[in-house]
Amino acid sequence: MPVRDVSSLKRLLPGRVFDAEADLLAYSYDAALERARPDAVVIARTAEDVRKAVQWCAESRSPFVARGAGTNLSGGCVPLRGGVVISTARLDRILAADTQRGVAVVEPGVVNLNLQKRLEPAGWFYAPDPASHKICTLGGNLGENAGGPRCLKYGVTTHYVKALEVVMPDGALESFSIEDEGPEILSLLVGSEGTLGIVTKAWLGIVPSPPEIVTVLAAFKSVEEAAACVAAVIAAGVLPRVIEAMDRLSVDAIEAYAPAGYPRAEAILLIELEGEGKSLELQLDEVSSLCRRHGAIECRSARDLAERERLWEGRRSASAALARLAPNVLVEDGVVPRSRLPAAARRVREIAQAHGTPAALLSHAGDGNLHPQIIFDERDREQTSRVKRAGLEMLRSCVELGGSVSGEHGIGVEKRAAMTWLFSDETISLFRRLKAALDPEGLANPDKVLPLPGERAPGETRPKARPPTDAAAALIEAVRQRAKDRRPFSVFGARTKVPEQIAAAGKGSALITRALSKVVEFDREDYVATVEAGISLGELKSKLEPEGFFVPLPMSAGTVGGMLAAKPWPGVREGILGMRVLLADGSVADLGGKVVKNAAGYDVPRLLLGSWGALAVILEVTLRLSPIRPALPSELPKPRPPRFGTWQARLKKAFDPHGLLNPWVGELR
Amino acid sequence: MSGVLGRLLTALGERSCYDAVSQCSRCGYCEQACPTYVASGREPQSPRGRNQLARLLLEGKFEDPLSAREALSTCLLCGACTSVCPAHVPTADIVLEGRRELSGTRSAWLRKALHHLFVRSPDILAILIRAGYALKRSGLSRLAARSGLLRLIGLRALAEADAHVQETPKRLLFEMLREDTSLKEDRAAAWRYFASCGPNFVFPRVGLATIRILKRACGRGSFFDGRCCGLTAYNYGDLDTARALARMNIERLESLRGEAPLIADCSSCAAFLKSYPQLFLREADWRARAERFAARVRDVVEISPSLPKDALREAFALHDCCRARHGQGLSQQPRRALQPACARWRELPESDVCCGGAGLFAFKHPGLSEAILRRKVSDIAASQARAVAVSGTSCLIQLARGLKKYYPECRVVHWSEAVCEALDHEDG
Ligand SMILES: Cc1cc2nc3c(=O)[nH]c(=O)nc-3n(C[C@H](O)[C@H](O)[C@H](O)COP(=O)(O)OP(=O)(O)OC[C@H]3O[C@@H](n4cnc5c(N)ncnc54)[C@H](O)[C@@H]3O)c2cc1C
Ligand code: SF4
Ligand code: SF4
Repeated sequence: MPVRDVSSLKRLLPGRVFDAEADLLAYSYDAALERARPDAVVIARTAEDVRKAVQWCAESRSPFVARGAGTNLSGGCVPLRGGVVISTARLDRILAADTQRGVAVVEPGVVNLNLQKRLEPAGWFYAPDPASHKICTLGGNLGENAGGPRCLKYGVTTHYVKALEVVMPDGALESFSIEDEGPEILSLLVGSEGTLGIVTKAWLGIVPSPPEIVTVLAAFKSVEEAAACVAAVIAAGVLPRVIEAMDRLSVDAIEAYAPAGYPRAEAILLIELEGEGKSLELQLDEVSSLCRRHGAIECRSARDLAERERLWEGRRSASAALARLAPNVLVEDGVVPRSRLPAAARRVREIAQAHGTPAALLSHAGDGNLHPQIIFDERDREQTSRVKRAGLEMLRSCVELGGSVSGEHGIGVEKRAAMTWLFSDETISLFRRLKAALDPEGLANPDKVLPLPGERAPGETRPKARPPTDAAAALIEAVRQRAKDRRPFSVFGARTKVPEQIAAAGKGSALITRALSKVVEFDREDYVATVEAGISLGELKSKLEPEGFFVPLPMSAGTVGGMLAAKPWPGVREGILGMRVLLADGSVADLGGKVVKNAAGYDVPRLLLGSWGALAVILEVTLRLSPIRPALPSELPKPRPPRFGTWQARLKKAFDPHGLLNPWVGELR
Repeated sequence: MSGVLGRLLTALGERSCYDAVSQCSRCGYCEQACPTYVASGREPQSPRGRNQLARLLLEGKFEDPLSAREALSTCLLCGACTSVCPAHVPTADIVLEGRRELSGTRSAWLRKALHHLFVRSPDILAILIRAGYALKRSGLSRLAARSGLLRLIGLRALAEADAHVQETPKRLLFEMLREDTSLKEDRAAAWRYFASCGPNFVFPRVGLATIRILKRACGRGSFFDGRCCGLTAYNYGDLDTARALARMNIERLESLRGEAPLIADCSSCAAFLKSYPQLFLREADWRARAERFAARVRDVVEISPSLPKDALREAFALHDCCRARHGQGLSQQPRRALQPACARWRELPESDVCCGGAGLFAFKHPGLSEAILRRKVSDIAASQARAVAVSGTSCLIQLARGLKKYYPECRVVHWSEAVCEALDHEDG
């Protein structure tokens, strides 16, 4: 690769550009294994620095890679095609921490912990808490859609993003918000690993700290018993803030290094409850008795900070304990529906054994997120490739169990090929079109997230797509016909939200989703339901709620699909896990999945919120249900018609190049 | 030929330098603990960056090895990174090894001069230093600074001290102690005092305070009257000189009767005395002797004199000297006696973050050092402390300068001086 001439970049950003060999080498890695040298490094101090640097890249067709603290575990910051690494680590001001409105305004280089420290005195906190919170930046958290132990109760990064200021790949400075009328570009950017733009400012939701916290330690004779206990706790309607699990290997490693007094059991759970007074007592009683009923051989709890810290000390020293055994630790990041956790743990053990690569298993058990930790020495090539293979196989087994190849660490370069296990060719090609729509020159963090053309992970793993229901099949056929004839058409649900004149005129030929009214899958164990888009909200709620499974959408006349497409309330995004959508050309794409956290691929389901059917037809949606009644608005404002600015219009083109779908949408305003 | 160490004593046991640096998994856990990374935001100036660059140097992967010099020379050697690293990668030792790899035979004459001064003729060193002070007192200090007398003899740290310290002791500490009959060598001594270069040449009052505390807390002791610990030479890449000095000190202690501890009152010095074994990994005999020696070394902050409660009325804070906190793992020890003796104790939010003094550092990298110093002083100012106690010579010099410039309401004292102030209260 010819080295790019960066002298004009240096003139453009004096004192901010570094290109000595040591600088290039120091920006050739992150916390994963891949390496590649950039041509220059920009240490930006302001959004304007970032904008100038990106614009320079756009003009000189140079790739660029955004970088925060470089702690991601998937190679996301490695400049595979050289170009410019743009560090946002020094955009590190907290611009506001407004507890009145529950918003913090930050620059992307703010370290997660520093925001927490700023909020603490006021009795507030920022919920996403990756284990790396002392070092990783909020920009990196946004890039990876990071989660942490606490996200069982509180959700992951995307649940806290309210607005972003972003330098787009052509150098334009834009702002996006969840209040935007029209497709939710904001959500597409979260978790996009710097492949769609660079965040320069973020408005993040913050929450009040709980009055009291109790930590419970419970030890079990088997992983299965521990998992059954987790399921029981959730089903009981207790929503702990944290449920962490450790297996025997982890416990042995911890006890050998920094004895925490953990019982030598096959599985240990650390459960954290929060609340106040009586209600906290009740939760604690309930959890303790559930633990005992599920065979806990030991169960103790701690209240004051020092005692709680002592229970956590062991868990925290796990990585140090492993780091003593070998230079490198591969931390995998698979996720499965919670009920499949024991099966996944078994598979992980078998795979580790088969490859001769012992793996300690730490999990965010409440979310079904597994972090097998395999120790090795990267200087031993044979061992390294064996470990990588074992890691990939573990991910594959997660996909086979209905899960995903990343719960929170992202895809980067290391898991790029594994995307073919998860997504169909149609879906991946949709992702590619979206990337090309926002970054036509392919300069923003190239060769990340999406498999290269022709790249496949070995083996077919993707579970066969469920055949469409009769109603869906009919709709798909109707769309195919129209696509063939290039005939524009409209899609309506119950027409409760579309302005009357349009519904009446039914510009193009109208297709009605009302017949898509099935609950396709209702997984009581995992609190997940997949429903067709034409089902009415009233019907859905009356089917699930009497059994104690609450739907995270407000009540309203009309269909579920209509509610999502029109987005009368930004909060509809909260409980969405996946979607099956029908594209304007008649192809079907399955997006997201059944797992409660998923950092693989672009968040297209949320992008479709507020798109008023102009991008794709929602056929099904997978929702996370709650064992307790969520707080939802009882009155909804009239949904506002969408706005299609430059970026929305480009996305529309990527979804629907011939402008067939809901052609009237642009005229609503 | 000084060369490189090749092997290091790490928290995971003895390792080749390459194995030690390969233990860095690039997790990044150390980044926010590193003052130079926080100040510059540049990966080459972070522990992870330094380790990776040192590793690439060892692997011969650099086309332009000298481009790594800035990354290595900006390291404060504070050790904060090692304290937080899951694998306790000894970054500071690795950085020094990297510097030695890079320096090759550069300024061999200077090394020779150093060797002469420290090892062969310490008296000439004392004469030179006294001459420097004489010049300073006679109002010729600027001339002295410019003539760079101290710098010429390789003691840039002391040159810095000279520029920033107002006091110019007329008598050097060791001269006073040699004359003090109460400190005569005695087989029954309960302790032996090691006069570090700082107290010896710049701050005799610190040494006198330390001796007062030792007498009070431990009874009769003696003046060790050894050689410079060798840290300056070691940090300068001159392993031969460091080893020669270490051998002299070891031999001297062995020649004295009894098992009394050897007490030093500059934490950098104490930490280095404790690390002597690492200098002799290839010499089994000397290694064993160095281990016995190191086991007897104590930092003065490990002494816990009993002090009257609330004796000090001023708002007092403690800045953890890096070589005490990270170099020797002393965190509670310096507080044990002092804190209860302070009526208004101020715990600093980041008391274990380096002040940017670090020997030559302030002189070589003024910009970076200033940024780090400002962060430290603003923490002190926010705590509203009126006095800060430290236990290292570099910290004493650096904070004196920083406080004078940014927060003159506050003074800096050595831990021993603070303890003596509390004793004064008791003694009336
Ligand atoms: C010890 C350890 C524990 C970890 N624990 C967790 C955990 O519990 N949960 C978890 O989710 N992750 C965890 N991680 C992974 C990692 O810390 C997270 O992915 C974190 O979000 C990365 O932040 P960063 O600042 O290091 O980002 P980087 O690694 O610098 O970047 C991550 C990605 O975001 C992009 N990016 C960075 N800044 C911007 C920006 N301003 N705009 C747009 N894109 C940007 C980059 O291009 C890259 O693709 C852990 C890592 C380590 C080493
Ligand atoms: S020095 Fe330690 S903490 Fe720092 S990156 Fe390396 S392994 Fe991680
Ligand atoms: S020793 Fe101090 S300055 Fe050097 S890398 Fe470690 S933390 Fe940074």
